[in-house]
Amino acid sequence: MGEARGGCCPPMDLFRSESMQLVQLIIPVEASHLTVSYIGDLGLIQFKDLNAEKSPFQRTYAAQIKKSGEMARKLRFFREQMDKAGVSPPKKSVTRTDIDKDDLEVKLGELEAELVEMNVNNEKLQRTYNELVEYKIVLEKASGFFCSALSSATAQQREMESQHSGEESLNTPLMKDQEADSSKQVKLGFLTGLVPKEKSLAFERIIFRATRGNVFIRQAAVDEPVIDPVSGEKTEKNVFVVFYSGERAKTKILKICEAFGANRYPFSEDLGKQAQMMTEVSGRLSEMKTTIDAGLFQRNNLLQTISDQFEQWNSLVRKEKSIYHILNMLSLDVTKKCLVAEGWSPVFATKQIQDALQRASFDSNSQVGTIFQVLHARESPPTYFCTNKFTSAFQEIVDAYGVARYQEANPGVYTIITFPFLFAVMFGDWGHGLCLLLATLFFIIREKKLSGQKLGDITEMTFGGRYVIMMMALFSIYTGLIYNEFFSVPFELFGLSAYACRDLSCRDATTDGLIKVRPTYPFGVDPVWHGTRSELPFLNSLKMKMSILLGVAQMNLGIILSYFNAAYFGNSLNIWFQFIPQMIFLNALFGYLSLLIIVKWCTGSQADLYHVMIYMFLSPTDELGENQLFPGQKTVQLVLLLLALVSVPWMLLPKPFLLKKQHENRHQGQSYRPIESTDESLQLEVNRDSHDHEEFEFSEVFVHQMIHTIEFVLGAVSNTASYLRLWALSLAHSELSSVFYEKVLLLAWGFNNVIILIVGFIIFVFATVGVLLVMETLSAFLHALRLHWVEFQNKFYEGDGYKFIPFSFALIDDEDE
Amino acid sequence: MGFLVTTLIFVVTGIIASLCARICCNMGPSTNLLHLTLIITATVCCWMMWAIVYLAQMKPLIVPILSEGE
Repeated sequence: MGEARGGCCPPMDLFRSESMQLVQLIIPVEASHLTVSYIGDLGLIQFKDLNAEKSPFQRTYAAQIKKSGEMARKLRFFREQMDKAGVSPPKKSVTRTDIDKDDLEVKLGELEAELVEMNVNNEKLQRTYNELVEYKIVLEKASGFFCSALSSATAQQREMESQHSGEESLNTPLMKDQEADSSKQVKLGFLTGLVPKEKSLAFERIIFRATRGNVFIRQAAVDEPVIDPVSGEKTEKNVFVVFYSGERAKTKILKICEAFGANRYPFSEDLGKQAQMMTEVSGRLSEMKTTIDAGLFQRNNLLQTISDQFEQWNSLVRKEKSIYHILNMLSLDVTKKCLVAEGWSPVFATKQIQDALQRASFDSNSQVGTIFQVLHARESPPTYFCTNKFTSAFQEIVDAYGVARYQEANPGVYTIITFPFLFAVMFGDWGHGLCLLLATLFFIIREKKLSGQKLGDITEMTFGGRYVIMMMALFSIYTGLIYNEFFSVPFELFGLSAYACRDLSCRDATTDGLIKVRPTYPFGVDPVWHGTRSELPFLNSLKMKMSILLGVAQMNLGIILSYFNAAYFGNSLNIWFQFIPQMIFLNALFGYLSLLIIVKWCTGSQADLYHVMIYMFLSPTDELGENQLFPGQKTVQLVLLLLALVSVPWMLLPKPFLLKKQHENRHQGQSYRPIESTDESLQLEVNRDSHDHEEFEFSEVFVHQMIHTIEFVLGAVSNTASYLRLWALSLAHSELSSVFYEKVLLLAWGFNNVIILIVGFIIFVFATVGVLLVMETLSAFLHALRLHWVEFQNKFYEGDGYKFIPFSFALIDDEDE
Repeated sequence: MGFLVTTLIFVVTGIIASLCARICCNMGPSTNLLHLTLIITATVCCWMMWAIVYLAQMKPLIVPILSEGE
């Protein structure tokens, strides 16, 4: 299947996927790591998993994978720490020092331990520091309570002394009681601390209830949120002072404090002691601060050194992990001295792979080289297209529908042109095309710079499709010139308009219209049409017919590609019983319609094409009368109708019967064929066997063929109608842009006022960019996509292959964890 | 300019473009064939579009009727 057929011209790039081969490598164990590493650098082999039945833990290199996973975890930990500390790794590591993976493992372990220890220490210090800060706040606030209480108490005492009839007011401070009751010798105890603000009310209430009201609580809000030493989060807190009497009350209050997460701090009534504590706390605070700063500095230094080499380590660890992953997919030989690998590789890469294998066995001082041999594949090989930066985006458009079957004709080749072209048919305006071109040129010029960066989702997508957009813009400029629209304004770029008034006075120009005085406008739509009353009828008729013509052309291309497929795979059944009747059916109906359209244009006939087409089916024998476009039309139509009718059973019936016959023949022939001795034919036999032994279900094949036929016959009608979207979208685009131009820009112009003009211009720009350049681009893109996926590709494209995903370090580096 | 002359211009443009591609980026027979296919497809698409619009205006059934007020 792989060899090129035809021979008239060389195989076209991209038209068929690369021919692949199933290769087997027998690698000595001592060279295996290096070999896989070199193959990963090359990136041209897709390994098969030969241990699919084994769980990840049963595989040979499970331990190494675990180790690499551990290293990756450490690196992730470093990355987290670096992110937290705001240390960013340099884009490109300056020094590429060679480092062994065992050394790296040890080093990573050491660094992690160091970092963890630093973190623990830092945390401890931070906690103490936060406690001190809270303590300081308590000292400040509580001494405030006591001072105010003391002053008001002395004031009240003085008052009491003067009046001796003190009514107990709610505000009576406790200090007074204490002093007044000093004779009773009941010492009141008190507790001070901090409680979170949101819990403070409940806290107060519970203490009050628990002690049956035998407490006095004072609270004061702390102005700024403080960092809670336990949780390390910023919280709003209140300073509280609780006065109580008796040991039992104290234990209760302590328990409540614990439950509410209120931190208590010792406090002394004595003013002197307070001051002493204050200075002590402040001193320790500043001391702590310098210690913490020094610790943080040291930690940042460590992180900085890590970040310098982080990327290098990271890629090394990833490589290691992927290498062991691949090694796990290889099967161990019985002698345990070599590993056996199987995988797909493109035929053209054979030389490169062999070179890499040789280098690997040489570099690892292996005594035996790796054995490279090509196997015969039973299953279908993966699909691999060598795309470049220009073609890859187009290929992605095709792949998004389905990856091509191995070596089937790739619609991507034509999509490169027809996709932007159909887009442009819907987006024809050379002003908008220029804007689009400028935008995409920005991406293309800064391509090198942008490709290394992380972009946003939408920018990333636009950047990936920059060449698609460039082609779309170029074609829109072309179709814009054809439609003669520049932001909906026509220009007489290619000579004078073909139309002029009937006479000098130009009186009936608005009633009967102009007449054609010159030869047809040479390129595109005559500018005179713009803004006339007959513009829409004319453009509608033109664009509708254009959609049909373009559609029929593209569908024919699709069917022709199905011929290439059939010829390439040597399937003459498909040529005779699929390609030919399909071609006849489509062209007998819609090819004929296209012909009629062209004939009508060339002759200027008044014939009604709808009528012709409808009565071709309803009463083909009737005379056409005034709808006749050319002599002998009736006979032609009869013949075409007959051909179309014949081609339906032609598509449906013979193929399943012939397939059945073929199958039977082959089956019989096989049982009586003499066994040939040569190795080659035996392998061929084996190869073919795998295909033939599938059971042949006639009913299934027949139903499949029936579905296929019905799909094609109905599809011919519906797909042709589907191409009318070209007309609809192109109409919508030109109408919208003329509305923006006339109703916004010209209206603003009419006011003769600079401010209104500026506002109008801004609105015009935003409407043009937002609606026409972004939304219309998207919708035209989607419709062009649909026309390619459905209308074009269903004529020939199977799209049931699978993609070639080589083992490559370049690909591993791309994906982010 | 008639239909045939402009068609000829399209053909000549296509030929020049394929020659340019052949000379400027000659990258082996298969890639050249791809370039040729792309250029031919593009030329045919552009020509079709132009030809359709040109033919439609050759023998007009509707003539432009100016709207009032112009």
